[in-house]
Parts: sequence; structure tokens; C-alpha cells
Amino acid sequence: MSTPTKDEIFERVKTLLVELFEVDPAKVAPEAQLYDDLEVDSIDAIDLILQLKDYTGKKVRPEDFKHVRTVGDVVEAVQSLFAAP
Amino acid sequence: MNAARTLPLQAGAWLDRRWRQAATGFCFLVFGVVGLLFGVTVFPAACLSTRDPAVAKRRAQWIVSRWFSAFSRLMRFAGVISWEIHGAGKLRQRGQLIIANHPTLIDVVLLIGYIPQVDCIVKEALFRNPFTRFPITWAGYISNRSGSGAPPTQLVDDCAAALRAGNSLLIFPEGTRSVPGQPIHIPHGSARIALQAGVPVLPVTIQCEPIMLSKHVPWHRVPARPGHFRIVVGDPVDVSHYLREARSTAIAARRLSRDWTRYFELHRGGAAPIAPSGRAVTQ
Repeated sequence: MSTPTKDEIFERVKTLLVELFEVDPAKVAPEAQLYDDLEVDSIDAIDLILQLKDYTGKKVRPEDFKHVRTVGDVVEAVQSLFAAP
Repeated sequence: MNAARTLPLQAGAWLDRRWRQAATGFCFLVFGVVGLLFGVTVFPAACLSTRDPAVAKRRAQWIVSRWFSAFSRLMRFAGVISWEIHGAGKLRQRGQLIIANHPTLIDVVLLIGYIPQVDCIVKEALFRNPFTRFPITWAGYISNRSGSGAPPTQLVDDCAAALRAGNSLLIFPEGTRSVPGQPIHIPHGSARIALQAGVPVLPVTIQCEPIMLSKHVPWHRVPARPGHFRIVVGDPVDVSHYLREARSTAIAARRLSRDWTRYFELHRGGAAPIAPSGRAVTQ
């Protein structure tokens, strides 16, 4: 399976945010703060991480997302998950 | 000439302010001392004389309520505040989630003075403050920060469990005092508690005019007149339809939080009370 590009990952994350939390798609940008701008709180994050686990097919630990603050951070975390063995 | 005429007035206003500064300081001093003294005398005496932790907690909450009521009257007697409350009787109903907006430091004191038995979420720092830690521990209040390593859902689970057990719970959904002039922001945690517990929600609107003891304002900066509190207790609302209408709890909690935000924005400005979005519970 080929690894998705950064743009593809971003689109996937955006779709998830809209589907899971009814986030306004216009607000989803790489620099958008999950909590302050999109109101995705720590409990929402559990749902999001579960979905990303399905998406990457990798084992995801909460620590992988510990330092995630923005949508761009999520994309990077997912990228490194894909890169992981 | 003008100056001569206004001078006594100005001096009066100056004295009035200095008096209220001193009186506010005195009240807070009393608050701290009583919290500490009661915490090591009255509370243990009332709570350790029973073996039933539920009875101990009920007694402690009753003492807190009586003490907060007395403290509110002390502040009124000192000329620091005045207040009016509408629908106070509805606060005493058990097993409901009471939500209120949070303009000032003493909102919780005024409200709990009318509720003999209620759980409450308090900020973690108050559990470490020697003047507040004993009463709030005896009363079984819930810390806003669950132990380290606890899952993020822990606080919501604990609060929902307390409500389902038949207790009432008082929450300021904003999580902290609002900043005057700024829009209200409500995180979704309280809405999750309401949805998970499935109990009626009782909205309370608090206004203070002129504003005092607000966020980022030190207690000694008193307003030109004593702050007058207007507390309006709304009607209990059933929120279960939010869960039925949304495809997930996360979305239902967002919608409910948004509706609460609208409700408080509408009412804290002084408009006539109306039922928040949702169905009124008929009793």
C-alpha cells in the first residue's frame, strides 16, 4: 500500500473533523488550533485518535498525539505513523 | 464655585469607596478564617459523629450552605453588595444539573446559600488552599482536575454518576469567570455531563451591576456603587432529544453547549427570561 501524501492526509483529517464534530470545513487549516479554534477537546480527541488508528492501520498510542496542538500537528503525527514500521 | 459645591460630594464618594474596600477586605478575611476554623472544628464534629459517609457529606454541604448564606448577608450588611433572586425555590429540587454563568468571584457563595444540598466542581487550587480545603473536602466537592493519568473522561463520568445517584450538581460551564465585554465561551464538558446523566438542566443567569470581583480585576478595585446581583433561576429543561437528534455524543454536546452559550449571552444582558432551546420539564 502506498503511503498517502501530506495533502491526502490533510484532506482525510479534515473530513474526519467535519464528520465527527461538525467542525466548519472553512475553519480547518493546517495552522488552526484544535482546542481554541475548532473546539476539539481532550474527549473528542479520543474519538479522533480511534479513527486515525483505523486510517493508518497502525497501533496508535495516546502519547503519539501528546504534543499535538494544531491540525498541521495531527497531519505530521499521522505521517510519522505511516512511516513507522 | 462648582468645585466648591461638588467637593463634599466627591469626598463622600471617596469615603464610600474606601469604606467598601475595607469592608470587602474584612469580609474576605472573615471568609478565610471561618473556612479554616470551621474546617478543623465544626465540620469534623458534624461529620465524624456518623459512620455513614453519605450522611457526613450531607451535613457538611448543609453547613456550607448555611455559612454561605450568612456570609452573603454579611457582605450585604457591610454595604458591599446587594442582590435579588427570582425562582430560588427551584434550586432546591434534587437530582438536577444546575448551570450558571459566572461573572464574579462570589457567584458560588450566593447560589449555594440557597441550596442546602448540592455537589459542586471546584478548581484544583482550592483543594490546596488552607482556607478552603477542609470545607470543600468535607462537602465532597469534585476537583476540576482528576488525578494524573486518569482518562479525560474521568471528570464527566464522576459528575454523571453523582447526578444519577440523585444528587444535584452546580456547574459554571464556562469553567472560569467570564471576562466582561468578551463573548461567553463554553467548553463541551458540562454538556457531556448533562447528556450522560440524563437529568433535567436548570439554567441560572447571574448579572452584577456595576460589575465587581470579575476576572483579572483585584478585589480591592471596588466599583462606584455597591454591586447589585440579579439572579434569575430559569425552568428545568430536558436535554435528551439532543442525543436522539445527533449521530454522536460529541456532536450533541457541541450543539447543547452552543445553545447554552446563546441562552446566557441573551440573558446576561438583562432580557426577559425565556426557556432555553429544549423542552421544558413539566412537573
